[in-house]
Amino acid sequence: MLRVESVVKSFGGFKAVDGANLHVDAGEIVAVIGPNGAGKTTLFHLLTGHLAPDSGRILFKGKEIGGLPPHVICRKGITRSFQVVNIFPRLSVFENVQIAVLSRERKTFRIFSPVKGMAEEEVHRVLRSVGLFDRRDVGSDLLSHGDKKVLEIAVALSGNPELLILDEPTAGMAPEETDRCIRLIRKLSEESGLTILFCEHDIALVFEIANRIMVMVRGGTVVQGSGEEVRRNREVQSAYLGESG
Amino acid sequence: MDFAANLFSAGTLSQILVGLSRTTILFIVSSGMSLILGVLRIPNVAHGSLYMIGAFAAWSVIQFLGGGLFAFLAAMIVAPLIVAAVGFVLERGFFSYLYEREHLMLLLLTFAFMLILGDLVKIVWGPEYRSVTVPAFFQGSAEIFGLPLPWYNLFLLLVGPCIAVFLWLVINRTNFGKIARAAAVDGEMVGAVGINTGWIFAFTFVLGSFLAGLGGALIAPMVNISLGMDHTLIMETFLIVIIGGLGNMWGALLGSLIFGLTQSLGILVWPQFGIAFPYLAVVAVLVVRPRGLLRSTW
Amino acid sequence: MRRSAAPLLLLLLPATLLALPHVLPRFHTYVASIVLLTALLATSLNLAIGYTGLYQFGHAVFYGVGAYGTALMLTRSGMPAPIAFLVGPLAAAALSLAMGVICIRLSKLYFGMLQISLGSLVWAVVYRWYSFTGGDDGIHGIPLPDAIASTKGAYYFTLAVTALCVFAMYRIVRSPFGKVIQGVRDNPVRAAAIGVDVKLHQLASLVIAGFFGGVAGSLFVVVESSVFPDMMFWTFSLEVLIMCLLGGMYTFFGPFVGASAIVLLRVFASVHTRYWGLILGTILTLVIILLPDGVLGVFVRRSVPKETPGA
Repeated sequence: MLRVESVVKSFGGFKAVDGANLHVDAGEIVAVIGPNGAGKTTLFHLLTGHLAPDSGRILFKGKEIGGLPPHVICRKGITRSFQVVNIFPRLSVFENVQIAVLSRERKTFRIFSPVKGMAEEEVHRVLRSVGLFDRRDVGSDLLSHGDKKVLEIAVALSGNPELLILDEPTAGMAPEETDRCIRLIRKLSEESGLTILFCEHDIALVFEIANRIMVMVRGGTVVQGSGEEVRRNREVQSAYLGESG
Repeated sequence: MDFAANLFSAGTLSQILVGLSRTTILFIVSSGMSLILGVLRIPNVAHGSLYMIGAFAAWSVIQFLGGGLFAFLAAMIVAPLIVAAVGFVLERGFFSYLYEREHLMLLLLTFAFMLILGDLVKIVWGPEYRSVTVPAFFQGSAEIFGLPLPWYNLFLLLVGPCIAVFLWLVINRTNFGKIARAAAVDGEMVGAVGINTGWIFAFTFVLGSFLAGLGGALIAPMVNISLGMDHTLIMETFLIVIIGGLGNMWGALLGSLIFGLTQSLGILVWPQFGIAFPYLAVVAVLVVRPRGLLRSTW
Repeated sequence: MRRSAAPLLLLLLPATLLALPHVLPRFHTYVASIVLLTALLATSLNLAIGYTGLYQFGHAVFYGVGAYGTALMLTRSGMPAPIAFLVGPLAAAALSLAMGVICIRLSKLYFGMLQISLGSLVWAVVYRWYSFTGGDDGIHGIPLPDAIASTKGAYYFTLAVTALCVFAMYRIVRSPFGKVIQGVRDNPVRAAAIGVDVKLHQLASLVIAGFFGGVAGSLFVVVESSVFPDMMFWTFSLEVLIMCLLGGMYTFFGPFVGASAIVLLRVFASVHTRYWGLILGTILTLVIILLPDGVLGVFVRRSVPKETPGA
């Protein structure tokens, strides 16, 4: 479904992404891991249109998407959640999701109908699927950090994506919240067959739910494969442990 | 055909020189604003009011000292100092408390002071306009390219580069300048290193105000000193600083040149709408290079 | 607006507004008209600045173009008045679109400054084009249809148009578009990530704001029978901004309140003193330092109950 081929992105003289490769097949849960500064978030920005690649190709369902603006990529079926919580702080939980749904339904230029109850069913459905239904009228900036991150995921889901990209979904979460998030990700994959790509620092979590893992070191792809393959890979071991064996 | 002939005559040259002397004033005032904008991040709408106070204060000094060359030179120093003092009060008394707020708020606060200072000038000096005559020393004109150019304009053409050099020295060769430049890039770090940014900011604002006042004092003999001087000037200054690159001294010079020259040439080419030419130039620059021609510190 | 007060206001307000000209002397009725159209202007500005988060520093140019458009149609073309009243706002909307397309590539302060430059360009042209626009004299003695030429007639016309436009803007703000532009204001990155074409929506917002600003300008023609180039001078733009700020930029009726306060204050002050600048400047300073959310903003904050945060 998604193919990233030898993508390069530099900032000034610094190559944040240097020949990264990735492929994600439909229905998979793929994780990207790597030490800090390896270029994971930059790669995600390239996938969702917030940055344009200097060279290389990014193909989604066979079509080139590198360099397209974020809102166009969203419409093609890729949505994301952000590493730093990025919701609409002045809106309630319900409204946050509602905006995303309305955007997907292309109703954003309606100027004369009141927005109050619009798309209520759909919004409730999304909120129920992530477990935020009871807090739907709470101001989103009043949520706990863990809930905010779940809201991020909910907003990304509202776009009815084919590929969901999660940037460090459990960053800053307490252990129970992390468990909840893992179960949510599993559920989304199993129940709706959603293809999920995420990056994480929590390696144990990654090995638990990912079908395949891609390891990034210094902007490049070291290995893509199952948990076992990754564990046995020498380069990965030296990158993480500093020595071979 | 007529305006083509106009454009290529000696009249053009003298018009250009007049334009350049106007550029001097614009540069002096804009560099002050650029300094304040670059280091303090304040879009100082009251800058025009400071300029106006400089002009009125110069008038007062000259009145007080009875006219003549000495009075004039004294005014060129005292008036900007008065304005610098006003600037000090503004910065320490009001603006410094709002550095944490968004730019919009600071801009509106300076706009509030533009209104207040405007009326204060009305209260102190009254609503009629004043004029200052050029002292005898500067009266008359020299012959440049066969055409008369007033001595005063020549004086301005000399003063401009002097100020530019002085500013360059201050910014690049003094401790204050180094710290101010660092603060322009990263104010927090400068504070974290233990430098008292408060006094740096105050002094920057004072220097910027001094320059505004100097501009006002210098232009006093050339125009009617009136209320409303602040309105037109502040708009021009802002636009100059924007097209030059926020916080960039050379940008202020470049912007002033563009503004001054397009205005003079514009009036030559199309007298009725000449005043619109600088705005057109500004629009053209911003469409092509939205962040200004030279590097900005923002 | 507080729930308890709303039904009462809903009854009293229209009644008062309708009865006004019969109770007050002519000059006061004239002032009331000015209050209404200025409030409309401020509300239209707030669409761009409060709801969409754009640094709309040059709004007065749309007001001026709306006024001049209508004035020129009434004095120079043979067209009937209703067409003239449409041309003004449409011209303002068209200008808003043109300026928007140029300015929208920039953000924040640069957007504001470019808008002021373009606005100043328009002002300079109007100011100098004696033969067409009357130059710095403006245009006076503009012929109006009899029904609205009198002070009372002008008032009722202004009241009707203002009410209609404010209602329209209210609906717009409560619509999906209204929500989306608020999202764009608060988090343009997020908005783009959910599929919203940020620039397009901002442009739409600008055009709407420009249109209603132009309507306010047309109303000025009805009330004053004149137009002046100072209507589009940048200082007036900032004054209207102050009205929005004073009343509260994040509420719908804030600018209305702010505009009313400032216009009334100015009329009152001009009777007693020549130093309106001093007064306005001091008010603005106090508002910025003490009431960052504006007058109405203070009330809105208080009446929204604190939600219990999720466990």
